[in-house]
Order: sequence, then C-alpha cells, then structure tokens
Amino acid sequence: MPETSYAVLGVFETPDALMKAIPQVRASKLGTVEAYTPYALHGIEEALGLRRSPLGGMVLVMGILGAITAFGFQYWISAIDYPIITGGKSAGSWEAFIPIMFEVTVLFATFTAGLGMLFLLNKLPFFGHPVLSSKAIKGITRDRYVLALEAESEAFDSAAAARALQAAGAIEVEALPAPDRSPFLTSDWVLRTLGGIFTACVVAGLAMYFATKWFPVLAPMKYIQEQPRLNAQKASSFFKDGHGMQQPVPGTVARGYLPTATGTQEEAASLVNPLPRTPEVFALGKKVYKNRCEVCHGAVANGVGSLTAAYGAKPANLQAQQFLDYPDGKIYWAIVNGKNAMPSHAPYLSERERWAVVDYVRALQRAQNAKDEDLKVAR
Amino acid sequence: MSPNKNTSNLPVSWLWGAVAVGALGVLGSYLAAGPERFWANWVFWFVLLFTLGLGSLFIVALEHLVNAKWSVPIRRIPERLATLLIPAVPVGLIALAAIPVLYPGARPEAAHHPLLAGKAFWLSLPFFSVRTVVALALCLLGLWVLVGGSLKQDATRDPAFNFKARKFAPAFMAIFALVVTLVAFDWISGLTPEWYSDIFGVYVFAGAFLSGLAATALAVLHLQDQGRLEGVRGDHLYNLGGFLFAFTVFWSYIGFAQYMLMWYANLPDEVIWYKVRLQGSWHLITLVLAGLHFVLPFFALVTRDSKKDPRRLRRVAYLMLGAHVLDIYWLIFPVLGASPRFSWPELSFALFFLGGILLWVRGAMQKGEDMPVGDPFLREGLEFRL
Repeated sequence: MPETSYAVLGVFETPDALMKAIPQVRASKLGTVEAYTPYALHGIEEALGLRRSPLGGMVLVMGILGAITAFGFQYWISAIDYPIITGGKSAGSWEAFIPIMFEVTVLFATFTAGLGMLFLLNKLPFFGHPVLSSKAIKGITRDRYVLALEAESEAFDSAAAARALQAAGAIEVEALPAPDRSPFLTSDWVLRTLGGIFTACVVAGLAMYFATKWFPVLAPMKYIQEQPRLNAQKASSFFKDGHGMQQPVPGTVARGYLPTATGTQEEAASLVNPLPRTPEVFALGKKVYKNRCEVCHGAVANGVGSLTAAYGAKPANLQAQQFLDYPDGKIYWAIVNGKNAMPSHAPYLSERERWAVVDYVRALQRAQNAKDEDLKVAR
Repeated sequence: MSPNKNTSNLPVSWLWGAVAVGALGVLGSYLAAGPERFWANWVFWFVLLFTLGLGSLFIVALEHLVNAKWSVPIRRIPERLATLLIPAVPVGLIALAAIPVLYPGARPEAAHHPLLAGKAFWLSLPFFSVRTVVALALCLLGLWVLVGGSLKQDATRDPAFNFKARKFAPAFMAIFALVVTLVAFDWISGLTPEWYSDIFGVYVFAGAFLSGLAATALAVLHLQDQGRLEGVRGDHLYNLGGFLFAFTVFWSYIGFAQYMLMWYANLPDEVIWYKVRLQGSWHLITLVLAGLHFVLPFFALVTRDSKKDPRRLRRVAYLMLGAHVLDIYWLIFPVLGASPRFSWPELSFALFFLGGILLWVRGAMQKGEDMPVGDPFLREGLEFRL
C-alpha cells in the first residue's frame, strides 16, 4: 500500500449490504464516505448525510435576477433612454415586458442550473476521477455496490479504513493511490481551452464572412432582400396604381398638427393661446421667429427685415396700431394660412411652435411700447 | 379545519345549523336583495361546486390515463370529492332559472342587439338548458364509470376495472374538455356575451384542477390526522404539492396570456371585460387575486422540502381553495355592477353551500374503504419512493 491514498474502496454484493454498512463506516469517522452504485438507491442521500444541494437556491436567485434584469433593461429602453409610443400604450407599460421577463428568467435559471451543476458542484473540468482507474469500477457499472472512504487529510490511515470497511461487511477492499497530478483545473488546460475557443471563433467568423461574400444569393442570406414589404419610391403590385408609396388617407393629421384656424381670419379671432407664458415658450417662439419671420418682419417686428429691400412686397409692420389691436387668434390665423404675399407656415410649424411665435410677437410689441410699470416688472 | 386535531372536526350539528341558517338567509336574500343578486350567488356556488367536483374527477381520470401507480393509495380521496358532482346536478338544474334574469343573450332584446343577433340561437334559453343538461349528464357518466367502478372493485377485486378505466380515461378527457369549455363559456363568459376569449375554457380548467388538487391534499392531510390512510408518506404529498405548484404557474400563464393579448389589441368588445375589473375596488381584487393565486403559492411551494411538508402543504391548500373562490367571484360578480358586492346575502349563501359541501364530503369520507383495496397496483403505490 502506498504512503498516501486517495481513498479506500469497499465492495458490497447487494444494495441492502451497502445501506447497512453506511452508518457503521460513517461512525468510524476516518474520512468522507461516498457511495458508487450502478443505479440510484432510495434513501441513500439521507444515509450518507448529504447536504441538500445549493443548486436550487442558486437557480432561484438567478431566476429572480433574470426577471429584474429583463424588467429593468426594457423599462430603461422604452421609458427612459428612448421613450417611444407603440400601439398607443404608454412608455414603460409593464404588461409588454412580461414575456421577455419570463424568457430571461428561464434563461438565467437554466444556465445557472446547467453550468452551476457542471462547473461549480461537479467541479468540471475534471480529468479522470481516481475511482475510474480502480479495479472495482467494472463492478460499479455492473452489479457491485461500492463504499469509499476518502482521505480528508495527510493523516488518513488507509489500513484503518480498510479494516472499518471489512468490519462493515465489504467482501473486497482496495486502496486507491493519490493521483500523480491534480485532477482539477490546471493552467495548461485553461490555455488550451481558451486557445480552442479563440480558434473556433476565428474560424466561424471567417466562414461567415466568406459565406456571405461569395454566396449572397443563397438562402438564408437573401432573405433580407425578399421581405414582403412596401418600399418608398419603388414600384409595387400591391396597390392598383402600382406605386409602393401612397397618399395618406384623406383627413389624416400628423400628431401636433391639428387643422385649427380653417375658417376666415375674423372667425379665428376667438382662438385662445393654449400655451403658458413661460421662459421655455418664449425661447421656442424666439427661435422660430428668428428662423422663419425675422428676414421679412425684422428683428423688432417693425416690418424692416434684411430681405425687405430685395423683396417686392412690403411685409407688415407688426408694431402698427392695427396689429397691436389684433387678438392672438388673428396672428395665429395669419401664420397658418398666410396673408397677402406671406405664404402659409403651417406645413413645417407645429401647433406649439405657431402659438409660441404668437407669444413672442406679443413680447416684441410690448418691448417697443414699454411703459413705466413694465420696468418695475422687469426688476 | 385547522392543523389542530381537536378543532378539525366540526360537529355535524353545527354544519346542519349553518345550512339551516344559511337557507333562511338565502330565501331572505331573494326577497330583500332582489332576484339578480340571488341568482348571481346561486350561479357562483354552482360553478364552485361544479369545478371542485369536475377537477377532482379529472385527477381520477388523469391517474387512470397515465396508468399512475403512486396515486393509487390516495385515489379514493378525489373519487369521493368527485361525488360532489351529484349535488351539483340539482343545483345546476335550479340555476337554469337564472338564465333569463342574468344572461343578456337569453333575453328577447338580444335579437335586436347587433352583436348578439348572430349568436341568438346559441345563447337562447332552450339551447343553453340543453347544453347544461348534457354537460351534467356527461359528468355523471364519467362519475359512474370511474368512481362507481372503483368502488365496486373494492368488493370484486377484479383487475379488469383497471383496463376498463384506462380505456375510458382518454374518452373522458375529450368529454372533460367539452364539458369544462361549455360550462365556462355558457355560465361565466355568457354573463357578458359580447365578450369572448378562446382560451377561457382552459383558464377555468386550470382553476378547476387546482381546486380539486387543493381539496384532495386537504382531505388526505385531514384523514392522516385521524390516523387513516396509513402508508401515505411525504413522497405522495410531494407529488400533490408538485401538481399544485405546476398548475398555479399554468393558471397564471393562461390568465396573463389572455389578459396581455386583449390589452395589446385593445379591441373595445374585448377590453371592456377587463376594464370593469381594473377600475375601482375590482382593481384591488384583481391584484389580490394575482397575489393569492400565483405569487404566494409559487414562493410557498418553490423549494423541494415545502412540497412534502404537511403543515406547509395544508396552508397552501387552504390558500388555493380560497384563491379559487376569489377567482370565481372575480369572474361572476362584476355582472352585478362596478362595485363588488359582499354582505349578508353572500354570507348566507356561503353558510348554506359550505355547510352542505362539508356535510356531503364528510359523509363521503366515512363510507367504504379509504383506499382502493381492490386495485392490484395498491401495493406498488404504497411502496412509491421519489
């Protein structure tokens, strides 16, 4: 018998003999007791005193983590980072997240179960368990039931272990020498595994690159060109007129472009500016005014802009008494419908932008006709 | 009725007293609270009784179908619970009188309703009644073959019954699917005939199976307290607990899938059903239902040990029965209006029907053998290990 042993194996002929021997051998307290049998035996877990596997707890924690991850990620995408309304649902509707949360929960849980069992609990990679090189292994896979007393330290007394097993009824006893090298993870193995993964990635990447480059017309590469969809500015047999692009349905209104002020300017006089007079609204009005109005109406709305000299028509002087007396609605009407030589600005100004310009024009008018009280307000 | 052995046997006189007091309240509720409320309560208890009995019969048929051995020692319990289908027959026949009161599809105005006119024949009182009678008759047929045959086997010890039941079980599965769908569509979703959901029958099936499992688990634990069902161990309880666990998830899956599709599509005739249940007090009840029917039992049964722990299993079984009652309440009572009704008429009905159900089950549990002693697989079932 060699100086250091990995374990001493005791061979039993029947499962009952094995089960009977387990408490005796455990009572000897010589080392860790482990059983090797051709098939699962009822009650052996309790007899060996095996602790409940921590895998279930790990799976539960990772499953919950998966659910939280999926919820957080979707919520962040659809409500915080890029809020977008789809299907008329408010951004961050939890109902839509549930299927993905379910999938990710299952994904995290199954990966934890599979990988946790293989690598954490069964300690893969594991090169050949010492018991596999024992003489008893043939019996273990056939009709013998083996109890192993595994060494816990250098002080393991294999002779005493053999006696304990024989006393418990083992018909044969075998001492297993400690393996030459560690059966567990080695740096050599890690290098080779990582190298293998790297090589596989490179090969797969190159294969994919050349496959798509040389055979782009083969399925599945051409699926992306064969989508059953309508393309803008392309022919399509779907519609009668043969165009892929169609006019909007009559009466279609883009969001924020409500067709208000469709009547006469007098009728529009009763419209009320819906915007609050806040610094944001004035800033928006100023920006739009400078982009769209200033070239003709001038920086202070007096009808003298940089284009006035070159342009045939004379833009309105918005500081004139006539316009000072205008209600908001009539200015708004002019922006939407245009007046005299002025074209309609409705196509590219949203509802909010038009009203903001009205507010800004009001501000310009008041600035040019400032009274003493206004100074006090400014202070 | 609790883990404590001493209080677990309510005296029979109490139960009869509850039935008597409940009966007075039931009659009074018809006069004082009006026929609508009376019939809503009646239909509620009919559906509960029916799902409990049919869910139990489903367990019996399932065990025969897959030729299960582990369940043989406890099979007599769902067999006894399935006899609740016998009192369900008169209750169901009386419930037919609720049709003209509660079900808009069976009223004469339905012929002029644009959505109901096309379904008028299906929803009409005569065809509705015929379907219900057929459904109840099919249930009795299943009961007679599966439970009656099993009881007879106690005396004859004839293994031929096992083969007969195994052949009949697949046919019964088809009958079961038909019956549970008919009753779910007619008696529950028929209350709002504009609304329809293909999956609704499966939803009611999940609840029915769960209620049958929970009642079976409770009865098994209760009989064990009395020292009966010797040989039934944690391994058998584990399977019952596993079934309960799996089907709480199944119920939630079906319930949520139905809700999510309707929520997404947002079609007026579909969302109206949920709109009622997601406003005011019903919203709170919906959330409580999700908590009691899914979240709580899920985490209570998720570990391996909890499924065979009798104390834990008993609590979860009570919880599941309560959640099933709440589920049916949630399905039926919105027909009475936007605010949930619960006061003396509901309590009277609960006293009357709960007392009656307990008396019936108690009687059934005392008749004959506790295990199917004539089943040749009984021994194998008793030796079952996980």
